[in-house]
Amino acid sequence: MYARRAAQLLQELSSCEEGQLPPFNGDKFDQVIRECEEHSRQFQSLIRDKDIETKNEDHYGSFIHHLSIIRNKRCLMAYMYKRAEVIQSYRWYVGRVLPREIQDKLNFSEQEYFKNYCSVIDSYMKDLDLDLTVDMVPPKDPCVRVRVLSEIGEVSLGDHAVSLTKDSFHFLRRTDAEPFISQGLMEEFVE
Amino acid sequence: MRRRGGRSASGLKERKKRDRMESWEEEGSGGGERERKTDVEAMREAWRREKAAPELLEFEGELVRRLREQIQLQEDGDEDDDQDLLSSLRHMDLDRALFLLKSYLRLRLSKIQAHLFFYASTSAQLLSPQEHLFCQRSLHATSRHLHRSLLSLLPPHYQSLSRQSTSSDHDDMLHPPHLDTFVFCKPNTHVGPLQLDDLGDDIVDLVVDDLYVLRYKSVTALVRTGRIDLI
Repeated sequence: MYARRAAQLLQELSSCEEGQLPPFNGDKFDQVIRECEEHSRQFQSLIRDKDIETKNEDHYGSFIHHLSIIRNKRCLMAYMYKRAEVIQSYRWYVGRVLPREIQDKLNFSEQEYFKNYCSVIDSYMKDLDLDLTVDMVPPKDPCVRVRVLSEIGEVSLGDHAVSLTKDSFHFLRRTDAEPFISQGLMEEFVE
Repeated sequence: MRRRGGRSASGLKERKKRDRMESWEEEGSGGGERERKTDVEAMREAWRREKAAPELLEFEGELVRRLREQIQLQEDGDEDDDQDLLSSLRHMDLDRALFLLKSYLRLRLSKIQAHLFFYASTSAQLLSPQEHLFCQRSLHATSRHLHRSLLSLLPPHYQSLSRQSTSSDHDDMLHPPHLDTFVFCKPNTHVGPLQLDDLGDDIVDLVVDDLYVLRYKSVTALVRTGRIDLI
């Protein structure tokens, strides 16, 4: 009670590495919600049939319950909001499709939020006709060495065709390779 | 610039290429007393300013539009690989300009994202029309998610996104961006004494091209009018 459990929830979140999430702790979350309901019940029983002006011990007791609810709300909001921020960063650093191990860490509403956020970003990029998720670091070379991760086949790049078979190495222009890299079909080979 | 080989000999292509080279180095529209600079340099400065400032600065719509046109021209006209060195240098230059542009837009997006409510209700000049749309849609998605997963489960009177409870008299859960952070800055014109806070206790004399570390709040007006540069 009195926001102790909510603080534990936040501690769990802060002990995780930057950019990573622990699995959504539905149990503890529900416990905090139930605590809020309990505080609310106590609050109602303390102020019922009482004159709002009398500053007796019941008045201050009810105030404590009110403050506990506020504190719980603040902790829960911090928990959800921080998770939402990390989920947003997934779109930029992981991509449109989340791997299974990340999906399992999100609750249903968070998975929906990820999809909605992706579509908000995509419609912004479509309005501008620019893909903002590539070129995240300043480019060092106009050409990159890449290794093909999954079979792509014959691709026509510029004036010649390249056969992109699995595990083959190529030296391509950055602009040609970017779409494949961002989809995860190729990776940049750094010596 | 000599062209090798027997590509189309029409004078039109020659002229187009000349125009392209010129427009790439086209003089940007500078102010009266400031020296004129290229659009890429202007973009670099706008990017640096946006990176250093804790709040969102005015959207450089004209500059972005011009830069995009020039990048498009360069990309379209890049079929001829005359000399590999030159063409790869041009590629690199193009890539770097594109990176500047994208990074500028990404910086702004992250600032908007951090203070959705605040920027949703600001004047239209600060945000581009697309950013405005982004802000509203993102706000909608975020508030829907928070409401569904948390706020609707709390006791009544505590379900607001912007107020702690119905007994709050203002939006105490929302905060505008913090303008108190320190920034490195360098005046580029003579500014003279600057009052650092409202009490009038601290006065700093700003000399041209000297480096200062000040709170952003004190120099906001100067940054907006361009008399001081953020590093």
